[in-house]
Amino acid sequence: MGDKRLNDFKRRWQLVQYTECVLYAVGVAGLAYLASQNFFLGILGFALGMAVAVLIFKPWKLSSEQTVAYVDAHVPEAGYSSALLLMPPSELSNLSKLQRYRVSTQLDAVIAKLKPPHQLPMAAMVMFGLIMIGMAVQFMLKDFQPKDLTPSTPQSIQFTPLDSVETNAEIPKLSSTKITIDQPDYTGIPNISTENPNIRAVTGSAITWRLEFDGEVANVRMDRMGEIFTLGQKNGGFILSQTLEASGFYSFSFEDKNGNKFVTDLYSMEAIIDEAPLVEIDGLDQYSYFEFDEVKQLPVNTKVSDDFGINDAYIVATVSKGSGESVKFREETVRFDGTLSKGKKQLQLKRLLDLDKLKMDPGDELYFYVEAKDNKIPTPNISRSETYFAVIRDTVTDDFAVESTLGVDQMPDYFRSQRQLIIDTEKLIKDQPNLSEKDFKFKSNELGFDQKSLRLKYGQFMGDETELQAAPGQVSSVENEPEGEEGEEKDVLDGYSHKHDSDNEHNLVEEHEEHGEEDEEEDPLHDYLHNHEDPEESTLFEKSLKAKLRDALSIMWDAELYLRLYQPEKSLPYQYQALKIIQEIKNSARIYVHRIGFDPPPIKEEKRLTGNIEPITNFDKKQEFEYQMSFASSRKTVSRLEQLIQGFNFTEMDRVLFQDAGNELAKKAVVEPLKYLKVLQGLRDLDKSVNRTKEHYATVQKNLLLVLPQVENNPGKVEAYEDEINRLFINELGKND
Amino acid sequence: MIDGLSFFNSKFLWPVVLGLVILWAIFIWKEWSQRKEKRFWIKGVVSLIGLFCLGMVILKPALPKDQAEGMGIVLTDGYRQTQLDSLKSKYKRIPVQQYVPGQALNITAKVDSLFLLGHGLLDFDFWQIQGKAVTFLGADDKQGWSDIQHDKHIFLGETLKVRANYHQPEKDHWAVLLDHTGNPLDSVLFDEGPNSRVSITTSPKASGRFVYSLVEKDENGEMVSEEPIPVVIEETLPLKILIINDFPTFETKYLKNFLAEKGHEVSVRSQLTRNKYKFEYFNGASNPIYQFSQQGLEDYDLLIIDADSYFNLNNTSKSALDKSITEDGLGLFVQPNASFFISSKQAFLSFEADYSEKLVLGESLGSMEKYPYGFAEVFPSRTILMDSVPVAAYVMKGKGKIATTNLKNSYQLLLDGKNQVYTRIWTTILDEIVREREKVAEWESLTEVPHIDEPFQFNLRTRLETPQVYNEEALIPLRQDLQVSSNWQGTTYPRNTGWNQLQIQKDSMAPFSYYVFKAEERNAVSQKKRMMSNIREFGRNQNTLGRDSAMSKIFQVIPPIWFYVVFVLCMGWLWLEPKLFGQ
Repeated sequence: MGDKRLNDFKRRWQLVQYTECVLYAVGVAGLAYLASQNFFLGILGFALGMAVAVLIFKPWKLSSEQTVAYVDAHVPEAGYSSALLLMPPSELSNLSKLQRYRVSTQLDAVIAKLKPPHQLPMAAMVMFGLIMIGMAVQFMLKDFQPKDLTPSTPQSIQFTPLDSVETNAEIPKLSSTKITIDQPDYTGIPNISTENPNIRAVTGSAITWRLEFDGEVANVRMDRMGEIFTLGQKNGGFILSQTLEASGFYSFSFEDKNGNKFVTDLYSMEAIIDEAPLVEIDGLDQYSYFEFDEVKQLPVNTKVSDDFGINDAYIVATVSKGSGESVKFREETVRFDGTLSKGKKQLQLKRLLDLDKLKMDPGDELYFYVEAKDNKIPTPNISRSETYFAVIRDTVTDDFAVESTLGVDQMPDYFRSQRQLIIDTEKLIKDQPNLSEKDFKFKSNELGFDQKSLRLKYGQFMGDETELQAAPGQVSSVENEPEGEEGEEKDVLDGYSHKHDSDNEHNLVEEHEEHGEEDEEEDPLHDYLHNHEDPEESTLFEKSLKAKLRDALSIMWDAELYLRLYQPEKSLPYQYQALKIIQEIKNSARIYVHRIGFDPPPIKEEKRLTGNIEPITNFDKKQEFEYQMSFASSRKTVSRLEQLIQGFNFTEMDRVLFQDAGNELAKKAVVEPLKYLKVLQGLRDLDKSVNRTKEHYATVQKNLLLVLPQVENNPGKVEAYEDEINRLFINELGKND
Repeated sequence: MIDGLSFFNSKFLWPVVLGLVILWAIFIWKEWSQRKEKRFWIKGVVSLIGLFCLGMVILKPALPKDQAEGMGIVLTDGYRQTQLDSLKSKYKRIPVQQYVPGQALNITAKVDSLFLLGHGLLDFDFWQIQGKAVTFLGADDKQGWSDIQHDKHIFLGETLKVRANYHQPEKDHWAVLLDHTGNPLDSVLFDEGPNSRVSITTSPKASGRFVYSLVEKDENGEMVSEEPIPVVIEETLPLKILIINDFPTFETKYLKNFLAEKGHEVSVRSQLTRNKYKFEYFNGASNPIYQFSQQGLEDYDLLIIDADSYFNLNNTSKSALDKSITEDGLGLFVQPNASFFISSKQAFLSFEADYSEKLVLGESLGSMEKYPYGFAEVFPSRTILMDSVPVAAYVMKGKGKIATTNLKNSYQLLLDGKNQVYTRIWTTILDEIVREREKVAEWESLTEVPHIDEPFQFNLRTRLETPQVYNEEALIPLRQDLQVSSNWQGTTYPRNTGWNQLQIQKDSMAPFSYYVFKAEERNAVSQKKRMMSNIREFGRNQNTLGRDSAMSKIFQVIPPIWFYVVFVLCMGWLWLEPKLFGQ
């Protein structure tokens, strides 16, 4: 269908359009490739550019009508009638046929020269423009690419001979280098294989070097800050594995079969420390206060981040109840809402702390902080947030009053007299044959009275009413003892209370001793102990202690009973029992302070103050200090370099010296690598014979002096010439003394 | 001019005059016949002139003249052109010679009186103008470093002090001290005024032979001039110290720890009870000392003893100790206690109560405890200063020194964390008093600024019987001092700039290093030195320009040839005249 000439023209037009599309696509492809340096991206860019361009221009949609319109518009010979060519002649009127014929004959000559409309120059310009942009991007990327930390050191291991080697000798070459960095599993960093000897890895990484050589080599060694490791030979290569513990420097060396030594530059090994997680609590005041009737809720929004992954995070809440001495703490671990996804680098955690659920009452305080652990193995890094406080305000305030009992012996003197009672009882039994019966009975009864008053005294602690004042009377009336004896009894008691051989003597407050039982009303403790409203009273002893005391009281009853029955020997076991229990009570009420300080060995009395020093011997002590001036080798290196600059020859001793100096500095370099690297590299370079030039010596010396610290103060002996004349002079001076 | 005329042969004056008068009378008589003619008168005058000249030839008249021939000018570096011009205008045709060091001055052959302009001759050229009357006129000081003084030999740990004087400094110029590798150590801005005194100190970090440099920089930091500061830095040797204490104290404990940790050989004896001691030995010391003997103390460089022990020494020990100090140079340091200052009868130093128990060391160093006494400045005691604060004092006793301090509980500084201050105080004190190791010889350079091919004079003091000194090539002859037999002097001519060495025949002795400057270095300094030595030699004489002119005037004989020529002409005329005008 259609005229052949018009179809030809249409096809040409389409071709031109496709060409334009190709140009655009090439431009896009060029941009993509240059910017990304990736061939596949270039192809993709081409396909994409082509598709977009083709979709925009739609060359296949070019219709015959468009062609005709274009031909009519641009070829006057067509006489706006080229459309006639498309129509079958049979459908045309005569006039039309004539016109069609005329057009067709005239078009023959013209149409071949007619150029389809195109924007090829435009397309080409766009293409070049895109490619130029691509190039610009590439340059920019190159400029802004992160620079290597030590660009001066080559990106692969290179050996250089230590001494000049005869050129005809075959120099073994490093054929392949493989450094495998196996970072700890928890970091999630895949193992890296590289040739770059400057290593940067997380602490604890296992690093494996594998070096292969062309030719025979021996003694392949690694020098890591002065420590020498020999590389093991395996499958034709040399292998060494090391765990990265700290930053440092290292180098390799080997010997060829002729014994020539080759060394590498100094390479860095940087250990990245796994940081502890960072915990932040947002939008919370350090102190929060709540009234007791408020809604007591605290929203804890926490952001936890870590460089390799968080293993756990939780809130540690401590509730404190009460105040002063009676304060009690309760610690609780509160988990955050939702499950914690382990191993993530950043977590946003939430938890609403409800103080009521923590069983907090008014006056209670809550301290809490967020603790997070990272996934470091074996010991995770733990960090915690600041501590936050939440307080429920209390409406009442307690006055605290407990101090009055501290430091004061709560035990009345009677506590001590149980032992005295026993002694007296034993004495009574012993003296029984020598005593008249009346005396014996009287004394026994007297002891019974003492036992009673002792019991009553203890009874006070149990809350028993005191009968002390009335008691002696009662006893005496029961026993029908003469009134006069009362005074003696009192004297006996006084004697007790003033005995100084008691265990507790030193714990006593002085005034306590002065008060007899008669003065109890004035005893400040007295009132206090009988104050039944006082909560202290009831908590004076623990429960078990109370039971013990009650036991002791009942035993005392028995002891008194037998004394009153004039059977002191039967009373004695009870007394012992009572004493034992009382001792226990006393001990439990005592505050023990562990003794510290020097415990001198017991002095033998017979030797004391005899002035005999025979057995004392001289004491000898010997000690050696390995003193070295700080950076001694480095300082020597400075001197030696000066000599080398002045033209001395490099010797093997110098190599050792420079190595020592390097090792000294390497220790410092770990802390400040940048400051020392230049010096270390310089010292290392001196190992190679090519570098032994005056200029190089001077540079190393200069850098060395820059990093060396001042000499410490140290007195020393100096050399001096002693002149006769001076000596004569001084001697003359001395004569006037 | 004629007043000065005199005749060389004045004794012939009258006979000659008489003879001439007779001759002329005969001539007049002979020509009397022509007396009416004019020729008679002409001939008469011509013959008179001829005869006069003849008489002059015989009498040799002489005129007094400034004696230009007997004087000369020697120009040396730095002369003033105006001075030369005025000399030249005064003395016409005065000979001038430029002085080149080491070359012969030809001018001296002709003249016996010299004007010396500029900075003067070098010392070794003085002989050339010996015996001549020299007027040294001098020159102005040069701009630049006119004086540089520095330690030439120090020990590691000491400070290197450089004191210099800059003549006519430019505004905003700096002086910077660089180490031998060019690292800047210290700098100071020049004062304004004709002379700027500069004082710079630094602590060298390593031992060896180094050439530091003193550099002048302008306001932009550009280097203007550079002067080398050659210095030899040596390491010190560890000490052997004996500490004797009546009872252990903290002061001793910390001092002992400090010394032992620094590698010194320390023995400590502290008394436990009667005749029982605790001995502590550090770094190799071992033999216990009960009684002092001169022999036992011989090994030690320093004895530190507390006041009680010192005063309670028995007579044998005391005299042994005294001998050790005076004869062997042992240093003795007495640790004071409160009573030590009071019992000044026995004390070797005298004190004055100053009632202050605090010693302020300085703003940055803080203060420390002391006994309320200061050192009385009585000859021959000397104080040991740390940053101009007296911390101790000593007296020389023979070869040795006895010292003590007024510091109390100095270990407190350590407890306060001021280790630096503590170590500095004790280093300062002990450095001053310890025994010095004896050297075999001591060198001293007499030439201050040695240059290539110029004589370098040195002084050697040694106890060797016949010392022999070599430079790199040959044996140098030495001249022994007549009075002091241990003093020797020698001269050598260094061939290289930089370090040169002199070696005594004993190999064990460290060679003596001296630095030879390049021609352009130490210019102003050596000019100044040269001028000083010229002034010393010739005296400075600026105001007596032409002072001796009268004396230097001599009578110069008028050359007789002129008279002779006139005489011949006269005679010729008289001979020719009859032939021309004869009848």
